[in-house]
Amino acid sequence: MGTATGIIRALNSGIKHLAVKRFTLRYPEEKLKFVGDGYQFDPSTGVGIAGLKGRHLLFHDHCTGCQLCSIACEGVAEAIAMVKVPEEHKHNKKAIMPQIDYGKCVFCGLCVDACPFYALYMTNDYELSSFSKEGLIYTPAQLQVKPYVAQDSEIIITDRGASHG
Amino acid sequence: MTTELPTDITSAAIHMDKPSSSWLPPGLALQKVDERIMTLNVGPQHPGSGHMRLIVQIDGDYIVACDPDPGYVHRGEEKMAEYRNYITNVPHLERPVIHDSCNVLYPYVLGVEELLGIEVPERAQYVRVIAAELNRCIYIMYWLAIYGIFLGHSTMFMWPAGDRELLIDLMEKMTGARVTHAHFIPGGVRNDLPPNFEGVCLRQVNYFEKRIKEYAAVFYDNPILISRTQDTGVLSRQDAIRLGTTGSVLRASGVDFDLRKKEPYDVYDELDIHTNVMTAGDAYARSKIPWLDMMESCKIIRQALQKMPKSGSVRVKLKPNPKGKGLDTVYKRVESGRGSLGYYIVSNGKPEPYRLKMSVPSFRNLIALPYLLKGEKLGNMPSVYWSLNYWPVEADR
Repeated sequence: MGTATGIIRALNSGIKHLAVKRFTLRYPEEKLKFVGDGYQFDPSTGVGIAGLKGRHLLFHDHCTGCQLCSIACEGVAEAIAMVKVPEEHKHNKKAIMPQIDYGKCVFCGLCVDACPFYALYMTNDYELSSFSKEGLIYTPAQLQVKPYVAQDSEIIITDRGASHG
Repeated sequence: MTTELPTDITSAAIHMDKPSSSWLPPGLALQKVDERIMTLNVGPQHPGSGHMRLIVQIDGDYIVACDPDPGYVHRGEEKMAEYRNYITNVPHLERPVIHDSCNVLYPYVLGVEELLGIEVPERAQYVRVIAAELNRCIYIMYWLAIYGIFLGHSTMFMWPAGDRELLIDLMEKMTGARVTHAHFIPGGVRNDLPPNFEGVCLRQVNYFEKRIKEYAAVFYDNPILISRTQDTGVLSRQDAIRLGTTGSVLRASGVDFDLRKKEPYDVYDELDIHTNVMTAGDAYARSKIPWLDMMESCKIIRQALQKMPKSGSVRVKLKPNPKGKGLDTVYKRVESGRGSLGYYIVSNGKPEPYRLKMSVPSFRNLIALPYLLKGEKLGNMPSVYWSLNYWPVEADR
């Protein structure tokens, strides 16, 4: 193949893309859809349930304050600290629950694997930016709130190419 | 072009002074042999080198000597591993190559499983193979994008960076994270595949394969790329073996060596794998082999999806703090996106490894760089350097 033919073929290959759909995800307006409600773990079988490893969700009525999540995090990020909570539960004598610093968290989900009481899950919420370092520290009360996420964009593959829609 | 090789590999910096009593920092040992020779620092702040400094001596436009100076992104992974137990080591050991995080964890997980005496379920082994092959493609696409921008080919930066998203989306569905998946764990994988994953995976991998075939016209058959990379940085078959290179660099020099075939781990022995070999050994061959490997990975993923058991456990339940059985050592290696990657783990019966050593392909391939650059034009330096499939963070670890 001659040099001129090769260059024309290369240019032609680029020109063909004028007819191909745009693949870019227009992020703040469109958000990718994930499977499930976030990463979860079933301690009875010892296997996780697929989902995005985003911000945590803490169930106050399940948490016993056993600190296993905090111990699991010690070797990874030291993001989890156990803090006093005002409310009283029969199963949580010490009244302590995890507080997570998202400035340190690496979203590995080993804390979820460590929890034997179905108290700590992860959610699809990944937009955690804040103007201050203190704003990244989520107290047990904040972790209790189920996030509102509007994520519905998926990769669609057609004859004209792939696009997010 | 033939380059004269010194018999001793430690004298890689060709003009290095005789070792004196006083230690000199790298590069300063390069002796000024002529007034015409100029010493140039490339990096460590990225333009054409990654987080690494290349100290280059040039005579006009030609490179006389080169001394790579890695170590700017050293993280102390090996020492850190001695203070963490076998499970909490997982998230930080994948940090050296976050794009290839499944492959960089693979030998660690295999080694720990042998130390602890765990038998992994078959379905988990297939899930691992699929994840490792997807990760290999993700890594190569990132590498290819940077290779394109090193050569000033901005289309080749945009296309792989965009098409990589197809596979990242699959990994996100599978593991819950775009990069740094922390998915492999001693005893299997963290979670089972999500429902309907097989169909989505097959569709996106097929489309991905169709897309990467289009790169031939715009990049690999492009006469401008061929004229820039062909016959530059030629590494002969003997030198490739003698310098200890691995992976795509070794296969581009005509050595048929792939650990997935030679030392099959997990279920690779049940899959039909073809090794791509080229004999030229120049920068063009080294840039084409990873691209051919991606097509091979797509075939492996399709085979694995077909042969995978449709149900079953994917993770063995371990005790809270798994320990090794007394004094024991293990060495495991896998074929990563860059070449053979091994872990040497010493256990003394405690929950933490006594010593952990990573043998990384990036560092092995870097050894060839001073030989390849001698006599080349300075303008060819980025293309020869990046064709070695080098990842700075992995070499420093």
